[in-house]
Formats: sequence, structure tokens, C-alpha cells
Amino acid sequence: MSGLGSEVLAEWTHPVEWGKVREFARAVHDPRLGREPPVPPLTFPAVLTAQFVERFVSELLPLDRRRTVHGEQEYEYLRPLQIGQQVRCTARITRDDVKQGRRGGRMRLVTVEVELADAQSGEVIGFERMTAIEQEANGP
Amino acid sequence: MNIAALPDPPAFRFGPITRPDLVRYAGASGDFNPLHYDDAFARSAGLPGVIAHGMFSAGLLGSFLASWIEDRQVRRFKLRFRAPVWPGDTLHARGSVTRIRQSGSTTVAELALALCRDDRSEVVTATAEVECP
Repeated sequence: MSGLGSEVLAEWTHPVEWGKVREFARAVHDPRLGREPPVPPLTFPAVLTAQFVERFVSELLPLDRRRTVHGEQEYEYLRPLQIGQQVRCTARITRDDVKQGRRGGRMRLVTVEVELADAQSGEVIGFERMTAIEQEANGP
Repeated sequence: MNIAALPDPPAFRFGPITRPDLVRYAGASGDFNPLHYDDAFARSAGLPGVIAHGMFSAGLLGSFLASWIEDRQVRRFKLRFRAPVWPGDTLHARGSVTRIRQSGSTTVAELALALCRDDRSEVVTATAEVECP
């Protein structure tokens, strides 16, 4: 699945913070809110990748936000995230191509995959894959 | 096959969505795309006003999934964003088991999920794989 993009686009380390997990669980109304230690919601990895995604969309690619929508988001979970854990994030582009849209205009589809691993042991925790769709300028 | 390994999905309703919901999600997630809080920017993108983060809806669907499967282990959760969500929308979630299979010694349930508006139009659809030991 992730064979396409071998070139590493960015690498960073981000902690799984107690307060951040609670804040996120509250924002998405996770039913496990209030447990101790807090349980990271299924989409919590978005917190670990938000700054990168911002830079990826607006600087690295860049995409025009006015013509871009979030098409898909995928999570693969191999090990649970732990409070206090330092997560090593490694981003690669796994898809970047142009397709003919159903209503005539062309669109660019870009998928970025972020591998999440324990920074100390190197064990892979899981993957987040985000697909953005940019409509071609001056479309119908 | 033991579909009984998984309870029936619970009722899930959220809304109407408010701007504070979106502001709270922006702060919690770190996603400060102005489409989600700046009306002038949203209008310059051809929208009538701010839209909810796709990942806010994704988070709600994740919460529905978590309340359905309780503490079972999720292997995969894949979401597709179908339509924009606006402040004022009320969302409902539904889910069903599409397949039960064996993966080694583990029983895996494949699920289909959707988040819909009051008129039943889908805004987010998803699939998930859950371990049912």
C-alpha cells in the first residue's frame, strides 16, 4: 500500500499529551472522556500531524485552499498510543495524480501517508493517510 | 458466525452544530484553516459561510464507533467525505456489520458506517475493521 512514495517528505517528533488528549476527546464527544489515563480518540493522530498538514497543503505542495477539499482519511492501528509517549512521525506522498472529474473539470489527488512510531523503541504504532482533492483553476 | 460478538449500534445524534463546536475542534486539533471560522474567507472560496472541519465530522463518527464497539480493538478506520457540514446541521450516525472473517485466530468484523443529515443525506461514510475476540 505504501510502496509508491519512498522519499521522506518530513520527519518530526510529537508527544501524546494528557491535556491534549482530554481536550480532543471533549471536542469530538468521545464516549470514553473522563477515563484515567485518558484514551486517545480514533482520530487523535490528527493532533500529531496538524502542523505538518498545514505546511504540506499551504507551502510544500502547495494547494489552493479555495479549490481544495478533504477527500479521504484513513487510519491503520497496530499498537495503542500511550499518554506521555513521544511519537516519531514520518511523512511520504503515496499518490499525486490528475484525474478527470465527473463534471468535466480536472482534479489533482494527493495522498500523504504519515507513519507513527514510538520514538524510543522504533515500533510502528500505525498510519494516517490523508487525501486532498484540488479542482483545476477556472473549471466549470 | 458470531455476529452476536458485537452489540447493535447505539442511537447517535449530534447537533445542531454550533460555531463554538468548530472553534473547540480547531483548538483541540490545531487545524486553523480559516474556512472553518472566517466567513469572509469562506465566501471568497464560493461558500455561503464557514463549514465544519471534515475531521470534526470524522471525530464524531469515531465517537459513534467507539460507543458501539466499546473497548474492542480497531484495526482500520477509513473515511470518505461526501458533502460539507454547516453550522446548524444535526447529524445522525448509523452502522452495520458487512462481513465477519477470521484473521489467524482472531475474528474480525467489517463495518460500514455513515454520518447523515436530518434528510438522511450522507456527509461522511466509512468502513472499519474491528477485532471481536
